[in-house]
Amino acid sequence: MHHEEVFTDRNVSEHSAYYYVDIETYPTTGWDKFKQALKRAVRGELFVGLWVVMREMIKFDIHTVQYPKEKLPIGPRYRAVHKLLRLWESGYERCIGCGLCEKICISDCIRMDTRIDENSRKEVTEYSINLGRCIFCGYCAEVCPELAIVHGGRYENGSEQRAHFVIKDDMLTPLDLLKAGEQSEYPGFGAIIPGSDASVKKTPLAY
Amino acid sequence: MINFTINGQPVIASKGETILQAARKAGFYIPTMCYLEKTTPCASCRLCVVETDKTDGLILSCQTPPTEGLGVTINSERLEQERTNIMRLYDVNHPLECGVCDKSGACDLQNKTLEFGVSAQHFSAKEHHRTIEHWGLINYDPSLCILCEKCVHVCNEIIGDDAIELQFGGYKSAVIPKNSEVLDCTFCGECIAVCPVGALVSSEFQYSANAWELTQIPATCAHCSAGCSLTYEVRHTSNSIGAKAKIYRVTNNFEHTTLCGAGRFGFDFAVEGTKDEAELAKAVHAIQNATAIRFNSLITNEEAMILQGLKEKLGIKLYNEEARAYQSFMAAYASISGKTGFGGSLDAIVQSDGIIVLGGRIVTDNPAVRYAMTTAARHRGAKVVYMHPLEDEWLKNVVTQFVKYEVGTEEGVIAMLAKTLLSGADISEETKTFFDGLDEGYLCAESNVGDEEYTHIAKSFARAKRKTLIIGSDVLNHERASNIARLCAMIETYTEFSIVVVAGSVNTIGISLICDLDVDTFGGNVVGYNAAGDYTMGSIGDVMLKLPSLNSQEGTFVSINHQVLPTNVAVAFEGYTLNDIANALGLVSQHTIDYTEKLPVSKGFNGTSFDSLGNFYGALGEDNRGYILENIDVEANGILEEVEDLPEFNGTVVYRCNPVNQFNGYTARTKQLEKEATLRGSAQFAAAAKIGDGDKIRIEFPQGTQERIFELDSTLKGTIALVPAYDVGFGELNEQYRFEKVKIMRMGSES
Repeated sequence: MHHEEVFTDRNVSEHSAYYYVDIETYPTTGWDKFKQALKRAVRGELFVGLWVVMREMIKFDIHTVQYPKEKLPIGPRYRAVHKLLRLWESGYERCIGCGLCEKICISDCIRMDTRIDENSRKEVTEYSINLGRCIFCGYCAEVCPELAIVHGGRYENGSEQRAHFVIKDDMLTPLDLLKAGEQSEYPGFGAIIPGSDASVKKTPLAY
Repeated sequence: MINFTINGQPVIASKGETILQAARKAGFYIPTMCYLEKTTPCASCRLCVVETDKTDGLILSCQTPPTEGLGVTINSERLEQERTNIMRLYDVNHPLECGVCDKSGACDLQNKTLEFGVSAQHFSAKEHHRTIEHWGLINYDPSLCILCEKCVHVCNEIIGDDAIELQFGGYKSAVIPKNSEVLDCTFCGECIAVCPVGALVSSEFQYSANAWELTQIPATCAHCSAGCSLTYEVRHTSNSIGAKAKIYRVTNNFEHTTLCGAGRFGFDFAVEGTKDEAELAKAVHAIQNATAIRFNSLITNEEAMILQGLKEKLGIKLYNEEARAYQSFMAAYASISGKTGFGGSLDAIVQSDGIIVLGGRIVTDNPAVRYAMTTAARHRGAKVVYMHPLEDEWLKNVVTQFVKYEVGTEEGVIAMLAKTLLSGADISEETKTFFDGLDEGYLCAESNVGDEEYTHIAKSFARAKRKTLIIGSDVLNHERASNIARLCAMIETYTEFSIVVVAGSVNTIGISLICDLDVDTFGGNVVGYNAAGDYTMGSIGDVMLKLPSLNSQEGTFVSINHQVLPTNVAVAFEGYTLNDIANALGLVSQHTIDYTEKLPVSKGFNGTSFDSLGNFYGALGEDNRGYILENIDVEANGILEEVEDLPEFNGTVVYRCNPVNQFNGYTARTKQLEKEATLRGSAQFAAAAKIGDGDKIRIEFPQGTQERIFELDSTLKGTIALVPAYDVGFGELNEQYRFEKVKIMRMGSES
């Protein structure tokens, strides 16, 4: 069956919300053009605008966002530069080095090196995301089984060197911020669905 | 042939085949967890259960042969239930650390768990503390172990180390080193290969890469003449700019093949090179002015072709004493047998029920031969006679009769052995007179092998059907090698014995077929390729022009199975190759592998091009690697020479013998392999030489001196010490007779 989508009628008519604005006719002769220019200049409309600026400046009632000192709040699920989170209690890195983000990355911009550490655990020695290539699709955050790699709100990607895009330390929550409780969980792709506790199956502990 | 049915469809099994094997051949799928094609069934998983119309209970298809007319059902509700329950039990308390497990998804347990849809744990058991064991190159995590026993079976039945066993203790069961606190074995790593979960892992590889990141490159091992199949697994190294890919690990098709420790852990021997035109010009100039090129046997057939081409073009000589010894041995051999090659192979050894090993330390010379012997002994109950001046502790589980002869008396021993084995054979009058004319009393007395020992061999082999005589590389460089070869050929020609000659190095056989070798005079202006020379090039030692090592080259080898085996580039090499030098010298070919199809047909090569050579095993173990050389007929006009007076080796005698997993300059520089370079001797030897454990000593060979540490080895007996050869020069064991009279002095005592 052919389906025809019904679009909103945007034609100007009596029934629509659209109407023609009243626009003066454009001057045609040279004299008329001169008169119009003179009228606009001499009436001093420019100063009306300048006065508004002046008045607000004096009143210090400024509504502009003072970027880069000040930034607009961004949606919590916005996918900007990645963050690597730490475990709340111990402060250890959440990343277990499973390599799933590296595998799933469709622009192939994640690289990691792992090794066995002194306690026979897997340790991540190098972790980098080439943000010059990253398309911020969010697959890495979605696939991460440990909620270790997430997207943050930092969207500035300007730098003198491409290498600056890939530094692990910039992504990892600093310990002092963690202690100050500044680390925030990410509610976007890959986050735990509300109420998921209920779906966890318990292992029988009959002994 | 047995006719039976699986799920109502007719299936034919050959004699001795189990239901599982017949089902797999016919394309039916029966799940297994513990089954290994090359060992006897472990029968620990019980996943392969099937129903039959002649039994009430379920039977294990892995160890039950079908009977005529049997109706087997391999899928049913009951079987599905049974198998699912087994998987549920396997999963009880199995750590849910798949994300970091070293198996990284290449896990049988994970596959089967998903296959049977086990998504929750229905049973419980109290978990107790299990500690991760560190056994050198191998780590063992008992909490991941599913006790399938594959590792134990393979260690005992195929390798012969018998180093691990299962400690029975119900839920507390674990794999433990046998009769030892720590693992004491040859570190072949086969237990790692067969482990279906992440319980037994390589300690060096563990957690360094995920299985899916590794590019698999099928190749042939570059350490000994067995030419084992292996896969180099390669991955990028790090994020840093300019970081090159490297080999992370070596795996093998463990279901059908076996790999030794050198193959598995000794993979990081690649060299780096640059395209330095000035150095290339020097090399070209050096060859133009040289009288000879000296090389060792760590080269491919194609490179051998290039060297032969250079010889023909420039009129220079080719020196390779090790391959030349083999070449002349086989020439003498062919003069009796009428065939260019010997008739045996590794597969023939596996199928044997009687094996004689003579003149070689098989365990370290050629582990693949040892594994074949172990398999024959374990699976076929083969009688194994080991004839050598030195007993080998590693072979004690396999050898049924050890015959010790005096050093240097190989000719007499083989003559007596041939006489014993040929008695009653259909031999010519001439030969009969030759054997009747042997001075038995003298030979037995000098070689110290009694008449009764030969009689015992004859008696224990009387009922054996498939027999193999393994000739070690000691005799290749014996003064009387040609006559020994003729005697060996007599045995192969006139008895049921097939013979395997254990060639010394990776491509000794290939070189002996391709190159026309000259006698090394140790003089003149010589260019060395992986060998000593006035100008040196290659991938071993401190050479002037770097050429790619064998894991950076494509080409072919000839193994002791007379199989032409392809190998591939695992690590890129940026410098020049031998072919570039040959091109500059006017021997033009675009690629080295263009020579593969030009390998001499007259020697048994069949002209297949490199790209059409397979390098894999089929699902049922069909060998699709390269091709088998044709055994060319030659004129058999050789006659046996009189056995000469047997030499005597008195005083301090050492035996050139590499430690376990060491073969050549490649293994010597790998990271993981133990580089034990001591002179090892018994307490008796130490007393005679007046040295003690840990002493720094100087050994004076006729060719030069070596400084080493002496190590007392309690497993050795007698008055012969073992001196390694892999670490000196270019690591050739077989350039001279392996036993040598030497002078040993404790350093510091002579002043």
